[in-house]
Amino acid sequence: MKEVQQVFRVLITLALALVIGGIIMQVSGKDALNAYSVLLQSALGNERAIADTLLKATPLIFTGLATMIAFKAGIFNVGVEGSLYLGAFAAAWVGFTFTELPALVIISLAFIVAGVVGGLWGAIPGYLKARLKVDEVVSTIMLNYVAISLTEYLVLGPFFVPGMSNAMSQEVALQAQLPRIVSRSQWNPSFFIALAVFFIVMFMMRRMTIGYEVRVLGSNPTFARWAGMPVRRIIVLVMFLSGFIGGLAGAGQVLGVHYRFVAGFSRGLGFDGIVVALLGRNTAVGVLLAALFFGALRSGGATMEMFTRIPRDLIDIVQALIIFFIAIDVGFGWLRRRFAPLTGGSETDLLAEGAGD
Amino acid sequence: MDILDVAVNVSASTLRLATPLLLVAMAGLLSYQVGLVNIALEGLMLIGAFTAVVMGVEAGSVWLGVILACLVCAIGGAFFALFVTDLRADLIVTGLAMNFLALGGTAYLLQILFGVQGSYTPANFESLPVLNIPGLSDLPILGKVLFRHSPLVYVSWIAIPVTAVFLYHTIPGIHIRAVGENPEAARTVGISVRKMQYLALILAGLLCGLAGAHLAVGDLALFRENMTDGRGFIGLAAVYFAAGRPRMAALACLLFGFFEALQFRMQTTSNIPTQFFQMLPYLMVVVMLVAISVRKEWKKG
Repeated sequence: MKEVQQVFRVLITLALALVIGGIIMQVSGKDALNAYSVLLQSALGNERAIADTLLKATPLIFTGLATMIAFKAGIFNVGVEGSLYLGAFAAAWVGFTFTELPALVIISLAFIVAGVVGGLWGAIPGYLKARLKVDEVVSTIMLNYVAISLTEYLVLGPFFVPGMSNAMSQEVALQAQLPRIVSRSQWNPSFFIALAVFFIVMFMMRRMTIGYEVRVLGSNPTFARWAGMPVRRIIVLVMFLSGFIGGLAGAGQVLGVHYRFVAGFSRGLGFDGIVVALLGRNTAVGVLLAALFFGALRSGGATMEMFTRIPRDLIDIVQALIIFFIAIDVGFGWLRRRFAPLTGGSETDLLAEGAGD
Repeated sequence: MDILDVAVNVSASTLRLATPLLLVAMAGLLSYQVGLVNIALEGLMLIGAFTAVVMGVEAGSVWLGVILACLVCAIGGAFFALFVTDLRADLIVTGLAMNFLALGGTAYLLQILFGVQGSYTPANFESLPVLNIPGLSDLPILGKVLFRHSPLVYVSWIAIPVTAVFLYHTIPGIHIRAVGENPEAARTVGISVRKMQYLALILAGLLCGLAGAHLAVGDLALFRENMTDGRGFIGLAAVYFAAGRPRMAALACLLFGFFEALQFRMQTTSNIPTQFFQMLPYLMVVVMLVAISVRKEWKKG
């Protein structure tokens, strides 16, 4: 029953946002119904459209899962974007440095290195939170900007390619470039890696000790402390895992789409992950569905702009509306508890104290 | 070019570039002091920039554009406050939504209203006139550095002491800080937490409007998609770097403005990548956050 209710709530949220989006289009003198049907057509209408939807959904599955894992532990990791950038650069570096390796080895290596680099980047604010009670929201926001500038510095400085006019790295070795599956679409196997991560995360959260510990920490930090759980270590580990998946997202974009590191390429894929995790009600299956939904909106939005001359920025507006509705939704009690501005002494303090033994 | 010229130019552009940071940092300060992490500063600032240009053109007066930018952003601040107080929504999630809405909304309107993508430069529309302070602007060196700026540069200087005096020496300001310090205690002595949060966020919105207006019509007269480009977060960085102290926050903004001025300078004169200076403000905040926490631990013993 509870699940039905949850699904119902999400559907209402989506319907409301889409209706308001439609009203905005009508007020701007556009035909909203036509726009939505074009959007639907170009998101799901044919093989290529579906491939494009899956393509756009891929990084969102990664970043959504990354955000979700941290959320589960009661940690608001805004820093997936940063891990994604560093992971992307690391993957590109592997791709253009170890050019002699066979395809399977170089691709696996690129993903693993990207994950580790992204994970270590995520573990920094994790450690600061666990050890020094530094609020992770502020530190991860700031570290995102450090990561964006740092990777741009790397491609313009130490890894500068002479003759390149834009801030981008060398192309990765040919055998490291993930093949396209469908013609005229950039859809590539990184989608299946995202699916694999989805299953691993689901298994981890349900069947493994760490999953249990994370859930306890997130739902009842006081109990976690009293039960003698290594709260600090869990926080750092969760942030590492979150960053790891964020790094994989970056690797997927580099090896599957751009074939090189391009400075500033993400434009908020990490932040979209927060939206995906929220809309997915912080469950793995929900994240997957939400990522597919936003993937469809993004790929359909681009074509909609071409045919109906409605700016694709409308999708951003719809996305914003969805977040507003989520923000005031009663179903997100855990979020409210954590940041309750009215009640003072928040859960964060509890968590930090728990980390202090 | 002799070294003195360079120093004068860099100093003057430091002050110019620090202006939006100072204004948005004062907005961040008000939010910080009432106990709220306000990530919506970035979006509100963008809305301010957009409003200043569009309404300035519409009203036929750039000054009216600035005033309307403040008004619209103050309403935006109230909207934000409505979510975090009355609707009990999560602060960060709502802030995220505000930023998405600002980014998408301004880009959408740009295309719907003017049919342009990326940037909008209205014809026959001029930026705020440079205000040479009579008597002082002719001083050697100092005149050029300090007294030949766009009007909002001076406003940003005034905003610092005004914010400080408001927060520390007026009843509403002290109440705002009391709420930030300990909402329960504030409530016990009869302070309305809700009202103070509204007040702080509305004033913060107003300052964001000024900050955005300076970006759009201070020296230029145009709007670009995402023209705030993270400045709201740099302002927030200054506040956290200063742990909420107005004077320190202002100094941090000047320092960050100086980094930005150096970047522009180095872009034109050398091949050294300037990203190092771009990330310095953010890196400094993280270091400062660590330092503050360590000191707290120490005090506790």
